[in-house]
Amino acid sequence: MNRLQANICLLCVTLCWSTEVIIFACIPDSVPPFATTCITSIAGAMLLCLSFLKRIKETIRREGAGLIRRSLLLGVLNCAYNLLYLYGLKYFDVSSGAFTLSMTAVVLPVILFTARRKVSLKTWISAALVFAGILLAVGSNAGVGQFIGGVLIASGCIIRAVFIILLNDYSASGDPVSLSAVISAIVGVLSAVLWLITDPKGFGVLPWNTQIIASLVIYSYFIVAFAQTLNIFAQKQSTPANATIIYSMEIVMSVLWGTVLPASLIDRIELTPWIICGLVMVVLGNLVVLIPSRQEKTGEA
Amino acid sequence: MKHKIRTYILLVFVYLIVAAPFKVMEVIPGFADIRPVTLLGPIYALFYGIPGCVIFAVMNLVMDIVSGDIAWSCIAGLLANFAGPFFILYYWKRMSREDLHLRSMSNIMKHIVLIIFSAVLEAVIITPSVAFLYDVDWKLFFISVLLNTSAFPILFGIPLTVFIQEELGFKQISRKDM
Repeated sequence: MNRLQANICLLCVTLCWSTEVIIFACIPDSVPPFATTCITSIAGAMLLCLSFLKRIKETIRREGAGLIRRSLLLGVLNCAYNLLYLYGLKYFDVSSGAFTLSMTAVVLPVILFTARRKVSLKTWISAALVFAGILLAVGSNAGVGQFIGGVLIASGCIIRAVFIILLNDYSASGDPVSLSAVISAIVGVLSAVLWLITDPKGFGVLPWNTQIIASLVIYSYFIVAFAQTLNIFAQKQSTPANATIIYSMEIVMSVLWGTVLPASLIDRIELTPWIICGLVMVVLGNLVVLIPSRQEKTGEA
Repeated sequence: MKHKIRTYILLVFVYLIVAAPFKVMEVIPGFADIRPVTLLGPIYALFYGIPGCVIFAVMNLVMDIVSGDIAWSCIAGLLANFAGPFFILYYWKRMSREDLHLRSMSNIMKHIVLIIFSAVLEAVIITPSVAFLYDVDWKLFFISVLLNTSAFPILFGIPLTVFIQEELGFKQISRKDM
């Protein structure tokens, strides 16, 4: 795999994540978010195990406790930032929420820098452009009442940045399929605990019907099994900063869905000049990362 | 032989997993026909040859029958769903000097253009039969087929192909096996 292929895979992962809202919209509000995460993560893990049982068994035999420990850490971080996002997003409207989530692209280079890791000039320029885009889009309608939401999302972004750095480190030497399967299984178990705490009635009272089952199946294979595995695979040839900046394209796609899809499916987003300017800055930030420099082209060749 | 049968059963199973949920639910109200399963067409063709194309086409027919959409136009659907992936297979294995590798922008662009051509071919085969049998807006139907058979193989099929080639080590069928 080369850098071009990694970037294509990361863009595909971002596109998959942006469609999450569409799949979620097909699941009624009576199904708690932790139930969705629990069922789809376990189903995704099972699908991967069914398809690659031999490969996963071999990796577990080879890496043993190390794989479980790494996956457990990633699973806990994953649950933590999703939980913070879940509660933080309640303070924002759809477009502001989407933009604030992309703060990870700004936070991550700073964390790398403080950890004395090398951050390229291109990354700083991209992060600055994405940050300017977020300020333009969110700044126009931010208020004091959103302070707590902002703190929650900022904490979520920091945890997500650490998650991406660790995922990038682990994917370099690990098997993406096995790592994805074990992370999914662990996230499934952790979500089950959170589900039982927040809604003790649990599994038995879910309003099962074909629509819900179909949505959960799609989410399981599309977001959990496919997108997560592809993400880990792409990280092998990418840097955490590069990956996070590509992830920020999710807001461009989310705004696109919010503009073109019917209001019955998704909260409509009204395109204001500030949002358009913000999107342009995010796209520019991505182009800085995606277009290889002459030096990189020579290196690839 | 046993290995081949097992592989074909797996292809049928993967098709069912991807296609079945979209047959029982309407993802976007007003857009009844969303078929992400089309992303599998070029992959089945390139990695499993003509049997892959046949499985893809037959499974499409089976899904139509199961979901109660059976009509004479399904024959055109069967033909189109074979012809589209076969066209991609034929190009890469008979006409092109290099194999599909997706490691350079030019190779990727070539594959994207091929997918769009095969989508046009499928739309040209299916649309007349549906327009003849039903009172539908043929232009809208043509666009719907075109988008379904080009967007999913490009947006999701290409990254999936990169993954199965580079990570899982899947080999395309050889030119002489085609």
